[in-house]
Amino acid sequence: MRVLLVEDEVRLADNLAAALRDSSGFAVDCAPDGLAGDDLAGNRCYDLIVLDLMLPKLDGLSLLRRLRARQDPTPVLILTAREGKENIVQLLNAGADDYLAKPFDLGELIARAKALIRRGKGAAHPMLTALDLEVNTLEQSVRRNGVLVDLSPTEYRILEYLIHHPRKIFSKRELLEHLYDYNWEHHSNVIEAHVSNLRKKLDAALPGADPIIETMRGRGYRLASEAERAEIQGQERS
Amino acid sequence: MKTRSIAFRLISAVLLVELASALLVIFLSWGYERHIHFHAFDVILHGRADSVLGAVQDAEDAEDNVMLDRADLHLPPEDIYEVYDAHGRLLGRSSNWPVAASNAPPRQARDGFLHLDVNGHRYRVILRHGSRIVDPDEPGGGKLRRVVVLYGAPTAHVWNAIFGAVEFYAAGSLLLLAVTGPLIAWLLHRGLLPLRQLAALAAHVSADSWQFSPPASARKTPELAPLTHAMESVLQRLERAFTQQRIFVSDAAHELKTAVAVVKSSLQLLGLHKRTPAEYEAGIDRCLADTQRLEDLVAKMLTLARVEDGSAAGGAPLQATGLVSCLRHAAAHLDTVAALHRVRVAMETPDVEAAGVRVALGAEDCLLLVSNLLLNAIQHSPPESIVQIRLVLNPAEKAAELLIEDHGEGIDPAALPHVFDRFYRGDPSRARSTGGAGLGLAICKAVVERAAGSIQLTSQPGQGTTVAVRLPLATELPASPPAHSASINESVADFLRR
Repeated sequence: MRVLLVEDEVRLADNLAAALRDSSGFAVDCAPDGLAGDDLAGNRCYDLIVLDLMLPKLDGLSLLRRLRARQDPTPVLILTAREGKENIVQLLNAGADDYLAKPFDLGELIARAKALIRRGKGAAHPMLTALDLEVNTLEQSVRRNGVLVDLSPTEYRILEYLIHHPRKIFSKRELLEHLYDYNWEHHSNVIEAHVSNLRKKLDAALPGADPIIETMRGRGYRLASEAERAEIQGQERS
Repeated sequence: MKTRSIAFRLISAVLLVELASALLVIFLSWGYERHIHFHAFDVILHGRADSVLGAVQDAEDAEDNVMLDRADLHLPPEDIYEVYDAHGRLLGRSSNWPVAASNAPPRQARDGFLHLDVNGHRYRVILRHGSRIVDPDEPGGGKLRRVVVLYGAPTAHVWNAIFGAVEFYAAGSLLLLAVTGPLIAWLLHRGLLPLRQLAALAAHVSADSWQFSPPASARKTPELAPLTHAMESVLQRLERAFTQQRIFVSDAAHELKTAVAVVKSSLQLLGLHKRTPAEYEAGIDRCLADTQRLEDLVAKMLTLARVEDGSAAGGAPLQATGLVSCLRHAAAHLDTVAALHRVRVAMETPDVEAAGVRVALGAEDCLLLVSNLLLNAIQHSPPESIVQIRLVLNPAEKAAELLIEDHGEGIDPAALPHVFDRFYRGDPSRARSTGGAGLGLAICKAVVERAAGSIQLTSQPGQGTTVAVRLPLATELPASPPAHSASINESVADFLRR
């Protein structure tokens, strides 16, 4: 998951970025002012935008309105030091998804960030399942058929991203965009290697099964159509 | 003295005037009525005296004497009369003539009036000289017989009439007074209605609702217009001040919360998972630095509050500080910072007298002002450049002008009008990197305004910025005790910490 953090207070931005990276393995980009934030958000590669309200050059509310005006559905978590209900109502009406008042609890911020990302992808619960695959986004643990699969952080992040949209094909570029911030060197080979490792580890947990991650040649990856099968089975059962 | 209501004062004034005019009317009417009534009375007396004269007849005796023939004489019974002939002989008198008072009038006595008391009643008596021609048909035109008629009538009823008229006027005036009192009170009550409406409107104004829209009638009423305008402008100024204060409080809260958020997040980040001792140490250092920033912010806000409070409470400070020595002091203290930036600070004081120039500022505030401006200039100077300090004396205006010029990147023209605003950061990256909370220039402005001076900033992007401070000279004020270097040391320490 990739998060855009628009916050002009450098130390706070550093801490938040570190916390989001450390705790959830998110890729985090920081923008020091509203215009920079607007520029970065224009890339449409973020799963969440954490937005401070008092920003130089372009304030948070205006940035939010710009985002929503160009139909950007990215969840937005507002950080505000201002109090008052009107303000919050105005924010939510302008298209904010959630807000946190400063000084906030870091744990709460992380939890809300995760929840917003989840919601943004249509999942209501931190436990994500796809057929025999079970991903606990809180513990960052993965089980296949009840068997714990030990994944590297990057492998986990790839799986978490894929499992949010079973059946959807993700290009390498998209995976790169959503899993790495700008501090990383972009190499699609990196993704290939990680996906290959991930597939091996997952398949090892349930020998004899079909490969769970399918490679669509020239198009990208998707979580195996087992999901489709599951759906068909489900329909048959009912 | 007890303060009475305006209505009470107006009503009493009107009633007093009315009372005075009523008294005047009574006095005048008394005089007038007396004149009229006595004039009429005199005419009557005249006529009756003539009737008495008419009753003087030829006595038909040898001497052609005259006599009073009372046969055809019909006169009011209470009237009195007396008729004498030219020799002072009594021809006749009314029965009720007061004999005691009777004495023949002197023959020479001229026509006129006299007063008599008859049985305790006051009578007005007319004295007339008349004449009768006896035997007018005789050759030679008959004989002329002169007589004196005295005719009197009681004056009581005349006085009654006069008093009656005066009483009428007096009663009328009193009635008028009685009626106009409440009427005026009612009219005043109505007339003062706009004032009460205005008061009711003003009573609704509060810190939350500044809505004050006086009715058009109040604006147009000449007496209320000044009050209305005054109230409106006062409210507008108050509202502006309140809004500014609110913005300041809100901004201050924002800054403080952000600073606290930094500290809190730094600590929580450290606690997210287990770390090595080295990481903990680094984390604690960061937390300390964050706390220091919070502390600096609070200190600056308190400084600003102190300076602004001072100017609000007592106007110009009552102490003077030598500007040149203060500048030298600040420059010496900021030496390390300047060296770190590889910036040279050059001072230029062309006026010889300027050496002793004293401005109306406490030493502490003066140092605060000068060091803040100097530090700003140094921080925004590129390496190997010069910060030029110029001090110019303006004897005509009794002011000193301090110019501090840097050759830095300058300020965006769009940001220029706001640089003195509290918590304003023109360029955030720059301001944040210099650690400013956006209060330094606001503090400078407050200090300068406290000394009744002015501060201006001119800047050309890419060329540099010049701060011009105009401070009134203080020649009479006592010298301020030398400043602690604490404030300046803080700024330096502050800077070196970053």
